[in-house]
Amino acid sequence: MRVSIMVLVVLFAAGPVLAQPQPPPAAPADRPAKTPEEARIDELERQLEELGARVAELQAGEAPEKPNDEASTTSQTGPISGYMDFHLNRPQDEDPVLDFHRFVLLLNHSFSDRMRFVGEIEVEHGFVEGLEESGELEVEQAYLDFRVSRSFNVRAGMLLAPVGIINERHEPPSYFGVERPSVDTFIIPSTWFEAGAGVHGAFGAGWHYQAYLMAPLDATRITAEEGLAEARQKGFLSNARNIGQTARLEYVGLPGLTLGTSFWRGKTGFNFRREESRVGLIEFDGRYHTGPFAIRGEFAQVFIDGADHLNDFAQRTTGVNSNIARQMRGFYVEPSVRPLPKLKYDIAAFARYENFDTQFRMPAGVLPLKQFDRAAWVVGASYYPDPDVALKIDYTVIRTQSSLFRGVDSLNVGLGWWF
Amino acid sequence: MSAGFLRFGSLPFAVLLVILAAPSGSSQDRKVVKITAERFTFTPSQIKVKRGTVIEFRLRSDDTNHGFKIVGSDANLIIPKRGRGEATLIFRAEMPGRYTFECSKVCGAGHSFMRGEIIVEDQE
Repeated sequence: MRVSIMVLVVLFAAGPVLAQPQPPPAAPADRPAKTPEEARIDELERQLEELGARVAELQAGEAPEKPNDEASTTSQTGPISGYMDFHLNRPQDEDPVLDFHRFVLLLNHSFSDRMRFVGEIEVEHGFVEGLEESGELEVEQAYLDFRVSRSFNVRAGMLLAPVGIINERHEPPSYFGVERPSVDTFIIPSTWFEAGAGVHGAFGAGWHYQAYLMAPLDATRITAEEGLAEARQKGFLSNARNIGQTARLEYVGLPGLTLGTSFWRGKTGFNFRREESRVGLIEFDGRYHTGPFAIRGEFAQVFIDGADHLNDFAQRTTGVNSNIARQMRGFYVEPSVRPLPKLKYDIAAFARYENFDTQFRMPAGVLPLKQFDRAAWVVGASYYPDPDVALKIDYTVIRTQSSLFRGVDSLNVGLGWWF
Repeated sequence: MSAGFLRFGSLPFAVLLVILAAPSGSSQDRKVVKITAERFTFTPSQIKVKRGTVIEFRLRSDDTNHGFKIVGSDANLIIPKRGRGEATLIFRAEMPGRYTFECSKVCGAGHSFMRGEIIVEDQE
Protein backbone atom coordinates (compact mmCIF):
# COMPACT_ATOMS: atom_id res chain seq x y z
CA MET A 1 0.00 0.00 0.00
CA ARG A 2 2.80 2.37 0.97
CA VAL A 3 4.65 1.51 -2.22
CA SER A 4 1.52 2.16 -4.27
CA ILE A 5 1.11 5.59 -2.71
CA MET A 6 4.73 6.44 -3.41
CA VAL A 7 4.38 5.31 -7.01
CA LEU A 8 1.22 7.36 -7.29
CA VAL A 9 2.92 10.45 -5.92
CA VAL A 10 5.89 10.01 -8.22
CA LEU A 11 3.70 9.52 -11.25
CA PHE A 12 1.53 12.52 -10.59
CA ALA A 13 4.60 14.59 -9.79
CA ALA A 14 6.20 13.44 -13.01
CA GLY A 15 3.16 14.17 -15.16
CA PRO A 16 3.29 17.98 -15.11
CA VAL A 17 7.07 17.91 -15.50
CA LEU A 18 6.82 15.75 -18.57
CA ALA A 19 4.09 17.89 -19.97
CA GLN A 20 5.97 21.19 -19.60
CA PRO A 21 8.36 22.36 -22.35
CA GLN A 22 12.00 22.47 -21.33
CA PRO A 23 14.21 25.52 -22.04
CA PRO A 24 15.80 25.23 -25.50
CA PRO A 25 19.44 24.02 -25.46
CA ALA A 26 22.18 26.46 -26.28
CA ALA A 27 23.06 26.71 -30.01
CA PRO A 28 26.46 25.41 -31.22
CA ALA A 29 28.98 28.23 -31.85
CA ASP A 30 29.65 27.32 -35.52
CA ARG A 31 26.00 27.50 -36.51
CA PRO A 32 23.59 30.37 -36.47
CA ALA A 33 21.37 30.42 -33.43
CA LYS A 34 17.93 28.88 -33.85
CA THR A 35 14.87 30.96 -33.64
CA PRO A 36 12.73 30.39 -30.54
CA GLU A 37 10.13 28.64 -32.71
CA GLU A 38 12.70 26.20 -34.13
CA ALA A 39 14.08 25.46 -30.69
CA ARG A 40 10.60 24.78 -29.40
CA ILE A 41 9.88 22.40 -32.28
CA ASP A 42 13.13 20.52 -31.60
CA GLU A 43 12.26 20.23 -27.94
CA LEU A 44 8.77 19.01 -28.68
CA GLU A 45 10.18 16.37 -31.06
CA ARG A 46 12.57 15.21 -28.38
CA GLN A 47 9.77 14.98 -25.85
CA LEU A 48 7.63 13.10 -28.33
CA GLU A 49 10.36 10.49 -28.80
CA GLU A 50 10.69 10.08 -25.06
CA LEU A 51 6.99 9.74 -24.59
CA GLY A 52 6.78 7.18 -27.38
CA ALA A 53 9.44 5.12 -25.67
CA ARG A 54 7.58 5.33 -22.36
CA VAL A 55 4.34 4.24 -23.99
CA ALA A 56 6.08 1.27 -25.59
CA GLU A 57 7.42 0.24 -22.21
CA LEU A 58 4.01 0.44 -20.63
CA GLN A 59 2.19 -1.31 -23.40
CA ALA A 60 0.92 -4.62 -22.11
CA GLY A 61 0.11 -6.56 -25.26
CA GLU A 62 -0.75 -6.49 -28.89
CA ALA A 63 -4.07 -5.10 -29.98
CA PRO A 64 -6.21 -6.61 -32.69
CA GLU A 65 -4.97 -5.52 -36.09
CA LYS A 66 -8.49 -5.55 -37.44
CA PRO A 67 -12.04 -5.96 -36.15
CA ASN A 68 -12.46 -9.38 -34.63
CA ASP A 69 -15.01 -10.77 -37.02
CA GLU A 70 -12.42 -13.44 -37.72
CA ALA A 71 -11.99 -15.49 -34.58
CA SER A 72 -8.82 -17.24 -33.58
CA THR A 73 -8.64 -21.02 -33.40
CA THR A 74 -6.66 -21.08 -30.19
CA SER A 75 -7.91 -23.76 -27.81
CA GLN A 76 -8.30 -22.66 -24.22
CA THR A 77 -9.40 -24.61 -21.19
CA GLY A 78 -10.87 -22.61 -18.34
CA PRO A 79 -10.61 -23.53 -14.70
CA ILE A 80 -13.26 -25.45 -12.85
CA SER A 81 -15.77 -23.22 -11.12
CA GLY A 82 -18.75 -24.04 -9.01
CA TYR A 83 -20.95 -23.30 -6.07
CA MET A 84 -22.08 -25.04 -2.94
CA ASP A 85 -24.54 -24.44 -0.17
CA PHE A 86 -25.68 -26.20 2.92
CA HIS A 87 -28.52 -25.40 5.25
CA LEU A 88 -29.87 -25.85 8.70
CA ASN A 89 -33.66 -25.83 8.45
CA ARG A 90 -35.67 -25.84 11.62
CA PRO A 91 -39.41 -26.10 10.92
CA GLN A 92 -41.74 -25.29 13.76
CA ASP A 93 -42.53 -28.32 15.93
CA GLU A 94 -40.17 -30.54 13.98
CA ASP A 95 -36.58 -31.68 14.32
CA PRO A 96 -34.04 -29.48 12.61
CA VAL A 97 -32.47 -30.79 9.42
CA LEU A 98 -28.90 -30.23 8.32
CA ASP A 99 -28.67 -30.63 4.56
CA PHE A 100 -25.69 -30.23 2.25
CA HIS A 101 -28.09 -29.10 -0.41
CA ARG A 102 -25.99 -28.47 -3.51
CA PHE A 103 -22.53 -29.32 -4.71
CA VAL A 104 -22.13 -27.99 -8.24
CA LEU A 105 -19.14 -27.94 -10.55
CA LEU A 106 -18.98 -25.99 -13.80
CA LEU A 107 -16.67 -27.03 -16.59
CA ASN A 108 -15.66 -24.82 -19.45
CA HIS A 109 -13.68 -25.51 -22.58
CA SER A 110 -13.12 -23.37 -25.66
CA PHE A 111 -12.37 -25.30 -28.82
CA SER A 112 -11.90 -21.87 -30.36
CA ASP A 113 -13.37 -18.40 -29.95
CA ARG A 114 -16.25 -19.67 -32.02
CA MET A 115 -17.04 -22.99 -30.35
CA ARG A 116 -17.33 -23.65 -26.66
CA PHE A 117 -18.45 -26.31 -24.23
CA VAL A 118 -20.07 -25.59 -20.88
CA GLY A 119 -21.00 -28.28 -18.40
CA GLU A 120 -22.64 -28.17 -14.98
CA ILE A 121 -22.82 -31.22 -12.75
CA GLU A 122 -24.79 -31.13 -9.53
CA VAL A 123 -25.07 -33.42 -6.56
CA GLU A 124 -28.10 -32.55 -4.46
CA HIS A 125 -28.39 -33.49 -0.81
CA GLY A 126 -24.90 -34.91 -0.69
CA PHE A 127 -25.63 -38.58 -1.19
CA VAL A 128 -26.98 -40.56 -4.09
CA GLU A 129 -28.23 -44.14 -3.94
CA GLY A 130 -30.33 -46.13 -6.33
CA LEU A 131 -33.96 -47.07 -5.78
CA GLU A 132 -34.47 -45.55 -2.35
CA GLU A 133 -35.29 -41.92 -1.80
CA SER A 134 -32.01 -40.07 -1.83
CA GLY A 135 -30.18 -37.17 -3.37
CA GLU A 136 -29.78 -36.50 -7.04
CA LEU A 137 -26.85 -36.49 -9.41
CA GLU A 138 -27.75 -34.28 -12.35
CA VAL A 139 -26.18 -32.94 -15.50
CA GLU A 140 -27.86 -29.56 -15.49
CA GLN A 141 -25.93 -28.10 -18.39
CA ALA A 142 -23.80 -29.74 -21.07
CA TYR A 143 -23.94 -27.84 -24.32
CA LEU A 144 -21.92 -26.63 -27.22
CA ASP A 145 -22.16 -22.99 -28.15
CA PHE A 146 -21.52 -22.08 -31.76
CA ARG A 147 -20.82 -18.37 -31.63
CA VAL A 148 -21.60 -16.87 -34.97
CA SER A 149 -22.00 -13.23 -34.02
CA ARG A 150 -23.19 -11.07 -31.17
CA SER A 151 -26.73 -11.22 -32.49
CA PHE A 152 -26.90 -14.87 -33.54
CA ASN A 153 -25.48 -17.94 -31.86
CA VAL A 154 -26.50 -21.59 -31.84
CA ARG A 155 -26.59 -23.77 -28.74
CA ALA A 156 -27.26 -27.50 -28.46
CA GLY A 157 -27.10 -30.07 -25.67
CA MET A 158 -28.47 -30.02 -22.16
CA LEU A 159 -29.86 -26.52 -21.69
CA LEU A 160 -31.36 -24.41 -18.96
CA ALA A 161 -34.88 -23.27 -19.80
CA PRO A 162 -34.56 -19.47 -19.99
CA VAL A 163 -37.53 -18.85 -17.70
CA GLY A 164 -37.56 -16.55 -14.70
CA ILE A 165 -34.83 -15.03 -12.56
CA ILE A 166 -33.53 -17.97 -10.59
CA ASN A 167 -33.31 -20.68 -13.23
CA GLU A 168 -30.26 -19.07 -14.82
CA ARG A 169 -29.03 -17.08 -11.81
CA HIS A 170 -28.91 -19.46 -8.89
CA GLU A 171 -25.43 -19.04 -7.45
CA PRO A 172 -26.04 -18.77 -3.67
CA PRO A 173 -24.57 -15.25 -3.22
CA SER A 174 -26.75 -13.94 -6.06
CA TYR A 175 -30.12 -14.39 -4.34
CA PHE A 176 -31.47 -13.71 -0.89
CA GLY A 177 -32.84 -16.34 1.43
CA VAL A 178 -31.54 -19.73 2.40
CA GLU A 179 -33.96 -21.48 0.04
CA ARG A 180 -34.89 -20.32 -3.43
CA PRO A 181 -38.27 -18.59 -3.80
CA SER A 182 -41.23 -20.98 -3.84
CA VAL A 183 -42.49 -19.44 -7.08
CA ASP A 184 -39.20 -20.55 -8.64
CA THR A 185 -39.79 -24.06 -7.35
CA PHE A 186 -43.48 -24.90 -7.80
CA ILE A 187 -44.61 -22.61 -10.63
CA ILE A 188 -41.28 -22.41 -12.46
CA PRO A 189 -39.61 -25.75 -11.78
CA SER A 190 -36.06 -24.51 -11.17
CA THR A 191 -33.57 -25.77 -11.92
CA TRP A 192 -35.35 -26.50 -15.20
CA PHE A 193 -33.05 -28.20 -17.68
CA GLU A 194 -33.72 -30.35 -20.71
CA ALA A 195 -32.01 -31.62 -23.82
CA GLY A 196 -32.58 -29.34 -26.77
CA ALA A 197 -31.21 -26.79 -29.17
CA GLY A 198 -31.82 -23.22 -30.20
CA VAL A 199 -30.45 -19.75 -30.75
CA HIS A 200 -29.49 -16.81 -28.59
CA GLY A 201 -27.92 -13.41 -28.98
CA ALA A 202 -27.99 -9.72 -28.24
CA PHE A 203 -28.99 -6.73 -30.27
CA GLY A 204 -29.15 -3.00 -29.87
CA ALA A 205 -28.07 -1.40 -26.64
CA GLY A 206 -29.06 -3.97 -24.07
CA TRP A 207 -31.51 -6.45 -25.62
CA HIS A 208 -30.90 -10.16 -25.17
CA TYR A 209 -32.92 -13.06 -26.50
CA GLN A 210 -32.96 -16.84 -26.27
CA ALA A 211 -35.20 -19.31 -28.11
CA TYR A 212 -34.93 -23.07 -27.78
CA LEU A 213 -36.70 -26.27 -28.67
CA MET A 214 -36.45 -28.80 -25.87
CA ALA A 215 -38.03 -31.94 -24.49
CA PRO A 216 -41.44 -31.27 -22.97
CA LEU A 217 -42.72 -31.56 -19.43
CA ASP A 218 -44.43 -34.79 -18.37
CA ALA A 219 -48.07 -34.21 -17.37
CA THR A 220 -48.19 -37.38 -15.28
CA ARG A 221 -45.81 -35.76 -12.81
CA ILE A 222 -47.76 -32.52 -12.34
CA THR A 223 -49.30 -32.46 -8.88
CA ALA A 224 -51.45 -30.19 -6.81
CA GLU A 225 -48.89 -30.18 -4.00
CA GLU A 226 -45.77 -29.34 -5.97
CA GLY A 227 -47.09 -27.88 -9.20
CA LEU A 228 -44.62 -28.34 -12.06
CA ALA A 229 -41.67 -29.09 -9.78
CA GLU A 230 -41.48 -32.80 -10.60
CA ALA A 231 -42.70 -32.59 -14.20
CA ARG A 232 -39.24 -32.18 -15.73
CA GLN A 233 -37.86 -35.07 -17.73
CA LYS A 234 -34.30 -33.87 -17.05
CA GLY A 235 -32.85 -35.31 -20.22
CA PHE A 236 -33.36 -38.86 -18.96
CA LEU A 237 -34.53 -40.68 -22.10
CA SER A 238 -36.86 -37.74 -22.54
CA ASN A 239 -39.95 -38.43 -24.60
CA ALA A 240 -39.76 -36.18 -27.64
CA ARG A 241 -43.01 -37.06 -29.40
CA ASN A 242 -43.80 -33.42 -29.05
CA ILE A 243 -41.20 -30.72 -28.66
CA GLY A 244 -41.52 -27.86 -26.20
CA GLN A 245 -40.78 -24.30 -27.22
CA THR A 246 -39.37 -21.68 -24.92
CA ALA A 247 -38.00 -18.17 -25.33
CA ARG A 248 -36.89 -15.21 -23.27
CA LEU A 249 -36.44 -11.52 -24.04
CA GLU A 250 -34.46 -9.39 -21.64
CA TYR A 251 -33.59 -5.70 -21.49
CA VAL A 252 -30.49 -4.62 -19.59
CA GLY A 253 -29.80 -1.30 -21.27
CA LEU A 254 -30.04 0.96 -18.22
CA PRO A 255 -27.69 0.81 -15.25
CA GLY A 256 -29.09 -1.32 -12.46
CA LEU A 257 -32.22 -2.34 -14.35
CA THR A 258 -33.10 -5.74 -15.77
CA LEU A 259 -36.51 -6.48 -17.26
CA GLY A 260 -37.38 -9.88 -18.63
CA THR A 261 -40.23 -11.91 -19.99
CA SER A 262 -40.31 -15.52 -21.01
CA PHE A 263 -42.65 -18.29 -22.06
CA TRP A 264 -42.72 -22.04 -22.36
CA ARG A 265 -45.29 -24.10 -24.25
CA GLY A 266 -45.59 -27.69 -25.28
CA LYS A 267 -47.72 -30.83 -25.36
CA THR A 268 -47.21 -32.82 -22.20
CA GLY A 269 -49.58 -35.77 -22.33
CA PHE A 270 -47.36 -38.27 -24.09
CA ASN A 271 -47.77 -40.81 -21.28
CA PHE A 272 -51.54 -40.85 -21.71
CA ARG A 273 -52.77 -42.86 -24.65
CA ARG A 274 -55.22 -40.92 -26.79
CA GLU A 275 -54.97 -37.93 -24.48
CA GLU A 276 -53.18 -34.75 -25.30
CA SER A 277 -52.66 -31.89 -22.96
CA ARG A 278 -50.78 -28.68 -23.52
CA VAL A 279 -48.96 -26.62 -20.92
CA GLY A 280 -48.21 -22.97 -21.38
CA LEU A 281 -46.28 -20.71 -19.02
CA ILE A 282 -45.79 -16.98 -19.20
CA GLU A 283 -43.50 -15.07 -16.92
CA PHE A 284 -42.43 -11.47 -16.23
CA ASP A 285 -39.63 -10.37 -13.97
CA GLY A 286 -37.71 -7.27 -13.05
CA ARG A 287 -34.73 -6.27 -10.96
CA TYR A 288 -33.47 -2.83 -10.09
CA HIS A 289 -30.81 -1.55 -7.76
CA THR A 290 -29.57 1.94 -7.02
CA GLY A 291 -27.13 2.75 -4.27
CA PRO A 292 -27.79 0.50 -1.29
CA PHE A 293 -31.36 -0.29 -2.33
CA ALA A 294 -32.60 -3.06 -4.58
CA ILE A 295 -35.89 -4.65 -5.52
CA ARG A 296 -36.81 -7.64 -7.59
CA GLY A 297 -40.10 -9.20 -8.53
CA GLU A 298 -41.50 -11.99 -10.61
CA PHE A 299 -44.88 -13.11 -11.88
CA ALA A 300 -45.60 -16.48 -13.47
CA GLN A 301 -48.78 -18.17 -14.60
CA VAL A 302 -49.26 -21.69 -15.92
CA PHE A 303 -52.07 -22.77 -18.25
CA ILE A 304 -52.90 -26.46 -18.64
CA ASP A 305 -55.25 -27.39 -21.45
CA GLY A 306 -57.00 -30.72 -20.91
CA ALA A 307 -56.45 -30.82 -17.15
CA ASP A 308 -59.87 -32.44 -16.68
CA HIS A 309 -58.97 -35.24 -19.09
CA LEU A 310 -55.63 -35.74 -17.36
CA ASN A 311 -57.34 -36.06 -13.98
CA ASP A 312 -59.95 -38.49 -15.33
CA PHE A 313 -57.33 -40.59 -17.00
CA ALA A 314 -55.14 -40.70 -13.88
CA GLN A 315 -58.19 -41.71 -11.81
CA ARG A 316 -59.02 -44.57 -14.18
CA THR A 317 -55.50 -45.90 -14.52
CA THR A 318 -53.99 -45.35 -11.09
CA GLY A 319 -57.00 -44.87 -8.85
CA VAL A 320 -55.67 -41.50 -7.75
CA ASN A 321 -56.96 -38.20 -9.00
CA SER A 322 -54.02 -35.86 -9.59
CA ASN A 323 -56.14 -32.79 -8.92
CA ILE A 324 -54.27 -30.96 -11.64
CA ALA A 325 -55.43 -27.40 -12.04
CA ARG A 326 -56.09 -25.70 -15.32
CA GLN A 327 -54.17 -22.66 -14.09
CA MET A 328 -51.43 -22.10 -11.52
CA ARG A 329 -50.12 -18.70 -10.52
CA GLY A 330 -47.34 -17.26 -8.43
CA PHE A 331 -45.61 -13.97 -7.83
CA TYR A 332 -43.21 -12.37 -5.40
CA VAL A 333 -41.68 -9.04 -4.58
CA GLU A 334 -38.44 -8.65 -2.66
CA PRO A 335 -37.00 -5.32 -1.52
CA SER A 336 -33.55 -5.34 0.01
CA VAL A 337 -30.94 -2.96 1.36
CA ARG A 338 -27.20 -3.09 1.86
CA PRO A 339 -26.90 -0.61 4.74
CA LEU A 340 -23.10 -0.57 4.85
CA PRO A 341 -22.03 -0.35 1.21
CA LYS A 342 -18.71 1.28 1.97
CA LEU A 343 -17.44 -1.52 4.16
CA LYS A 344 -15.27 -4.32 2.87
CA TYR A 345 -17.55 -6.89 4.48
CA ASP A 346 -21.01 -6.50 3.09
CA ILE A 347 -24.34 -7.03 4.82
CA ALA A 348 -27.77 -7.13 3.25
CA ALA A 349 -31.25 -7.33 4.72
CA PHE A 350 -34.31 -8.32 2.76
CA ALA A 351 -37.99 -9.16 2.99
CA ARG A 352 -39.85 -11.24 0.45
CA TYR A 353 -43.57 -11.70 0.03
CA GLU A 354 -44.63 -14.61 -2.13
CA ASN A 355 -48.02 -15.83 -3.22
CA PHE A 356 -48.31 -19.10 -5.06
CA ASP A 357 -51.39 -21.13 -5.82
CA THR A 358 -51.07 -24.48 -7.58
CA GLN A 359 -54.86 -24.70 -7.90
CA PHE A 360 -55.54 -21.15 -9.00
CA ARG A 361 -58.20 -22.24 -11.50
CA MET A 362 -59.62 -25.76 -11.54
CA PRO A 363 -61.39 -27.61 -14.36
CA ALA A 364 -65.14 -27.04 -14.55
CA GLY A 365 -67.02 -28.65 -11.68
CA VAL A 366 -63.97 -29.08 -9.43
CA LEU A 367 -63.38 -26.86 -6.43
CA PRO A 368 -59.82 -25.86 -5.54
CA LEU A 369 -58.36 -27.00 -2.23
CA LYS A 370 -57.46 -23.94 -0.21
CA GLN A 371 -54.38 -25.55 1.28
CA PHE A 372 -52.68 -25.07 -2.09
CA ASP A 373 -53.32 -21.34 -2.08
CA ARG A 374 -50.23 -20.32 -0.17
CA ALA A 375 -48.46 -17.14 0.85
CA ALA A 376 -44.99 -16.82 2.32
CA TRP A 377 -43.20 -14.07 4.19
CA VAL A 378 -39.45 -14.46 4.27
CA VAL A 379 -37.39 -11.98 6.29
CA GLY A 380 -33.67 -12.32 6.64
CA ALA A 381 -30.15 -11.12 6.17
CA SER A 382 -26.96 -12.11 4.40
CA TYR A 383 -23.43 -11.45 5.53
CA TYR A 384 -20.70 -11.49 2.89
CA PRO A 385 -17.17 -11.93 4.25
CA ASP A 386 -16.28 -12.05 0.55
CA PRO A 387 -18.57 -11.08 -2.36
CA ASP A 388 -18.61 -14.78 -3.32
CA VAL A 389 -19.44 -16.12 0.14
CA ALA A 390 -22.83 -15.63 1.78
CA LEU A 391 -23.82 -16.55 5.32
CA LYS A 392 -27.61 -16.38 5.33
CA ILE A 393 -30.30 -16.45 7.93
CA ASP A 394 -34.02 -16.06 7.46
CA TYR A 395 -37.33 -16.70 9.12
CA THR A 396 -40.05 -18.02 6.83
CA VAL A 397 -43.75 -17.94 7.54
CA ILE A 398 -45.97 -19.91 5.16
CA ARG A 399 -49.73 -19.64 5.45
CA THR A 400 -52.46 -21.28 3.46
CA GLN A 401 -56.07 -20.26 2.89
CA SER A 402 -57.21 -23.48 4.54
CA SER A 403 -58.40 -23.59 8.13
CA LEU A 404 -57.18 -27.19 8.41
CA PHE A 405 -53.68 -26.79 7.02
CA ARG A 406 -52.33 -23.62 8.50
CA GLY A 407 -48.79 -23.76 7.14
CA VAL A 408 -45.43 -23.85 8.89
CA ASP A 409 -42.88 -21.42 10.17
CA SER A 410 -39.21 -22.19 9.90
CA LEU A 411 -35.86 -20.76 10.91
CA ASN A 412 -33.20 -21.31 8.28
CA VAL A 413 -29.47 -20.78 8.33
CA GLY A 414 -27.26 -21.39 5.32
CA LEU A 415 -23.77 -20.97 4.02
CA GLY A 416 -23.23 -20.72 0.28
CA TRP A 417 -20.29 -19.84 -1.89
CA TRP A 418 -19.18 -19.45 -5.46
CA PHE A 419 -15.68 -19.94 -6.75
CA MET B 1 -0.54 -0.93 -35.27
CA SER B 2 -4.04 0.00 -36.24
CA ALA B 3 -5.71 -0.18 -32.86
CA GLY B 4 -4.27 -0.56 -29.46
CA PHE B 5 -4.92 -1.11 -25.82
CA LEU B 6 -3.09 -0.78 -22.59
CA ARG B 7 -4.11 -2.38 -19.35
CA PHE B 8 -3.39 -1.44 -15.80
CA GLY B 9 -4.22 -2.53 -12.33
CA SER B 10 -5.04 0.92 -11.11
CA LEU B 11 -6.41 4.18 -12.30
CA PRO B 12 -3.32 6.37 -11.71
CA PHE B 13 -1.36 4.42 -14.30
CA ALA B 14 -4.11 4.94 -16.82
CA VAL B 15 -4.27 8.66 -16.09
CA LEU B 16 -0.55 8.90 -16.60
CA LEU B 17 -0.81 6.96 -19.80
CA VAL B 18 -3.35 9.32 -21.25
CA ILE B 19 -0.99 12.19 -20.43
CA LEU B 20 1.90 10.38 -22.07
CA ALA B 21 0.14 8.94 -25.06
CA ALA B 22 -1.54 12.10 -26.20
CA PRO B 23 0.86 15.00 -26.50
CA SER B 24 -0.67 18.41 -26.81
CA GLY B 25 -1.99 19.11 -30.25
CA SER B 26 -3.10 15.49 -30.86
CA SER B 27 -6.30 15.19 -32.87
CA GLN B 28 -7.40 11.98 -31.09
CA ASP B 29 -10.68 12.17 -29.18
CA ARG B 30 -10.70 10.68 -25.73
CA LYS B 31 -13.64 9.01 -24.11
CA VAL B 32 -14.08 7.44 -20.69
CA VAL B 33 -16.49 4.52 -20.74
CA LYS B 34 -17.62 3.12 -17.40
CA ILE B 35 -18.83 -0.46 -17.65
CA THR B 36 -20.50 -2.40 -14.86
CA ALA B 37 -20.28 -6.17 -15.00
CA GLU B 38 -22.96 -8.23 -13.31
CA ARG B 39 -24.18 -11.78 -13.78
CA PHE B 40 -24.63 -12.02 -16.78
CA THR B 41 -24.39 -8.67 -18.51
CA PHE B 42 -22.12 -5.77 -19.21
CA THR B 43 -23.81 -2.37 -18.91
CA PRO B 44 -23.48 -0.73 -21.34
CA SER B 45 -22.90 -3.62 -23.72
CA GLN B 46 -22.63 -1.59 -26.90
CA ILE B 47 -20.18 1.29 -27.28
CA LYS B 48 -20.02 3.44 -30.41
CA VAL B 49 -17.04 5.68 -31.08
CA LYS B 50 -15.52 7.52 -33.98
CA ARG B 51 -12.36 6.23 -35.58
CA GLY B 52 -9.32 7.55 -33.79
CA THR B 53 -10.97 7.74 -30.38
CA VAL B 54 -8.96 6.62 -27.40
CA ILE B 55 -11.33 4.80 -25.06
CA GLU B 56 -10.51 4.51 -21.41
CA PHE B 57 -12.57 1.63 -20.07
CA ARG B 58 -13.22 1.73 -16.34
CA LEU B 59 -14.55 -1.66 -15.35
CA ARG B 60 -16.18 -2.60 -12.08
CA SER B 61 -18.29 -5.49 -10.88
CA ASP B 62 -21.51 -5.59 -8.91
CA ASP B 63 -20.90 -9.16 -7.77
CA THR B 64 -18.11 -11.62 -8.47
CA ASN B 65 -14.90 -11.48 -10.52
CA HIS B 66 -15.55 -11.16 -14.21
CA GLY B 67 -13.16 -11.11 -17.10
CA PHE B 68 -12.97 -8.51 -19.85
CA LYS B 69 -11.53 -9.85 -23.04
CA ILE B 70 -11.48 -8.24 -26.46
CA VAL B 71 -11.87 -11.19 -28.80
CA GLY B 72 -9.07 -11.66 -31.27
CA SER B 73 -6.52 -9.89 -29.12
CA ASP B 74 -4.65 -10.63 -25.94
CA ALA B 75 -6.48 -7.84 -24.13
CA ASN B 76 -7.81 -9.83 -21.21
CA LEU B 77 -8.06 -8.70 -17.63
CA ILE B 78 -9.92 -9.55 -14.46
CA ILE B 79 -12.51 -7.14 -13.10
CA PRO B 80 -12.29 -7.04 -9.29
CA LYS B 81 -15.17 -8.27 -7.18
CA ARG B 82 -17.84 -5.94 -5.86
CA GLY B 83 -16.35 -3.26 -3.66
CA ARG B 84 -12.77 -4.15 -4.56
CA GLY B 85 -12.07 -1.33 -7.02
CA GLU B 86 -11.98 -1.14 -10.77
CA ALA B 87 -9.84 -2.25 -13.66
CA THR B 88 -8.80 0.09 -16.44
CA LEU B 89 -8.04 -0.59 -20.06
CA ILE B 90 -7.09 1.82 -22.82
CA PHE B 91 -8.28 1.03 -26.33
CA ARG B 92 -7.35 2.98 -29.43
CA ALA B 93 -10.12 2.70 -31.96
CA GLU B 94 -8.17 3.29 -35.12
CA MET B 95 -9.70 0.72 -37.48
CA PRO B 96 -13.43 0.88 -38.26
CA GLY B 97 -15.43 -2.23 -37.48
CA ARG B 98 -16.99 -4.21 -34.67
CA TYR B 99 -14.90 -5.51 -31.80
CA THR B 100 -16.50 -8.09 -29.53
CA PHE B 101 -15.71 -8.11 -25.84
CA GLU B 102 -16.77 -10.82 -23.44
CA CYS B 103 -16.40 -12.17 -19.94
CA SER B 104 -13.38 -14.44 -19.83
CA LYS B 105 -13.81 -15.78 -16.32
CA VAL B 106 -16.54 -18.29 -15.63
CA CYS B 107 -19.02 -16.44 -13.44
CA GLY B 108 -22.05 -18.69 -13.30
CA ALA B 109 -24.62 -20.62 -15.28
CA GLY B 110 -25.13 -17.80 -17.78
CA HIS B 111 -21.47 -16.88 -18.22
CA SER B 112 -21.62 -17.41 -21.99
CA PHE B 113 -24.17 -14.61 -22.37
CA MET B 114 -21.78 -11.92 -21.14
CA ARG B 115 -20.76 -10.21 -24.35
CA GLY B 116 -20.71 -6.75 -25.82
CA GLU B 117 -19.28 -4.88 -28.74
CA ILE B 118 -17.32 -1.78 -29.60
CA ILE B 119 -18.47 -0.22 -32.86
CA VAL B 120 -15.78 1.94 -34.43
CA GLU B 121 -17.29 4.20 -37.08
CA ASP B 122 -15.38 5.94 -39.83
CA GLN B 123 -15.01 9.69 -39.44
CA GLU B 124 -17.24 11.56 -41.86
